[in-house]
Amino acid sequence: MVSTELVEQLRKLNRVDKLQIIQLLATELADEETNLIKPGASYPVWSPIEAVEAAKVMLDALNAETTKES
Amino acid sequence: MNSRARYSFTPTDTSLGEASFKPYLPLTLHYRNNSQEVIGLLDTGAMVNVLPYQVGIELGAVWEEQTTMLQLTGNMAQFEARLLIVSALLGQFSSVRLVFAWTQATQVPLILGQANFFMEFDVCFYRSQKLFEVTPKQSL
Repeated sequence: MVSTELVEQLRKLNRVDKLQIIQLLATELADEETNLIKPGASYPVWSPIEAVEAAKVMLDALNAETTKES
Repeated sequence: MNSRARYSFTPTDTSLGEASFKPYLPLTLHYRNNSQEVIGLLDTGAMVNVLPYQVGIELGAVWEEQTTMLQLTGNMAQFEARLLIVSALLGQFSSVRLVFAWTQATQVPLILGQANFFMEFDVCFYRSQKLFEVTPKQSL
């Protein structure tokens, strides 16, 4: 929550200072968006991207079940 | 009957803004006489569908009865996985059979992957609009 005191102080700034504040905040917001992945941190990936053999076994089982039912 | 169902991407963490939107798809799974409403993550990079352990239990599946072992990859390689075939109902579409790697991992999302979700449904992503559309596969 932005305090009324801070808002009042910002309002007192001259035009150039106000533009500098806008630029500063816009840069910080952009940095936060692009720095979501921190260097050195570990981010687990729960996706079986190379489970090709498992996929084959599963599809064979599904086909066998379909054949049995028909 | 409308042959296309449209869904919105779901924000999962407001502090992450645009980066947190994910394509979660609601569907109902049926196994024997049980059914469970679930939310699946559409993962085009995943080779297989993955069912978290707890969801399988809630569907009434018995781990020991599933005898086909599967070897998953990545972070899931450390957990035992077994094959489980269930029926799935999505929107107004006809029921389809989905084959899952039922993993003992509990912290994973329910993943809808290439085998065989994306073999049953065509999905079109409109990420810039935070929308995606699902259509049953076309019979050739």
